[in-house]
Amino acid sequence: MTRLHAERADAHRPSEVLNALKRLGFGAVVSVPDGWLGKTMARSVVETAMRVVRATHEEEALAIACGIRLGGIRTALLVQNAGVLSMGAGMVCLAQRYQFPLLMLVSYRGTPEDAVFYHVPKGRATEPVFRGIGLSYARVDRHRPIGTQIEQAATYAEEASCPFALLLSREDIQW
Amino acid sequence: MVRAARPTRADYYKALAGSLPSGALVVTSLGNASYQWAALHHGPENFYFEDAMGLALPLALGLAVAQPSRPVIVIEGDGGLLMHMGALVTVGAINPANLTVLIIQNGVHAASGGQVLTNAGLDLALLARSSGIARSDNIWDPEVLAQKLAAASSRDGAECLVLATEPDLDVVRPPVTLDPVLTKHHFMAALGAPRYVPAVFGGGKLEGS
Repeated sequence: MTRLHAERADAHRPSEVLNALKRLGFGAVVSVPDGWLGKTMARSVVETAMRVVRATHEEEALAIACGIRLGGIRTALLVQNAGVLSMGAGMVCLAQRYQFPLLMLVSYRGTPEDAVFYHVPKGRATEPVFRGIGLSYARVDRHRPIGTQIEQAATYAEEASCPFALLLSREDIQW
Repeated sequence: MVRAARPTRADYYKALAGSLPSGALVVTSLGNASYQWAALHHGPENFYFEDAMGLALPLALGLAVAQPSRPVIVIEGDGGLLMHMGALVTVGAINPANLTVLIIQNGVHAASGGQVLTNAGLDLALLARSSGIARSDNIWDPEVLAQKLAAASSRDGAECLVLATEPDLDVVRPPVTLDPVLTKHHFMAALGAPRYVPAVFGGGKLEGS
């Protein structure tokens, strides 16, 4: 990946999430609320030219994102990991079956760094479920610039024609 | 509300085919919603759902957002709508003028054998209005559907038309194989949607972005 965008390792990581989406030509974000992602969602409305759609449920958000991508606009989903658990049927029957390339930026709640204890069951189930439904994913490496990792995830989604979930830690997305 | 002596899906589809706005993109939900439309009006500007019940409406919403200059018509069933009723609220919030939502209200889950819907008698047009889609009506006459479609270009928001329909439990055999990936590729090619241009070492983008 020698031509990947140069990015300072100490850059403000949440800002770099939005910067990466802008740089890669993303035209739309579809989101469902989450505490960690909340400010990134809010800032995506005021700081970018991206169209932001707020959905009522993650499976609905997935279908909206498929529709926007079908219409020719590069699209990212911003959802909590619990939301990916609840979109399983749409994931396999729509997004994967029709081979929609989608970047999914997923807050990884329920890890040991998450102070909200009731997220733990979701954290435990996340990666086994992802593997079970064949959802390609990666965990962000906190020691590497995040913009580069978003670019790699987005590229994977396009090259493989499938959704790709990038699991984000609190420091990646909390402002 | 569902009344007696309802028209069939075929009656409505004939009216739709005869009054389809120029450049319209049509999204059809699973089962006969797709099969019968393919039998009557197959073309690359149709996006057929194979499964994913309840997701035709939100996908069509995304398509309408991405293609604001093209009329987008989605045909969803009442059962599918009940599965993802929140999508109606999101349509109401965005209210794209190029989106026409057609709900086949037959009171049953036709694609799975005709099981009666949970609360089959709901006033879905009232529900749509409450969700923010001001132009929402119950329709019992295919001719009224044709009149509504003819007037669609002058709207200032989305429209939801609930079509009282006789259940059709016999599966219509589509004239072509509705391969999902081919459906998507043909649809995007017909739209002229930009291709993804890869870059060997990362950083690929869609054409023109």
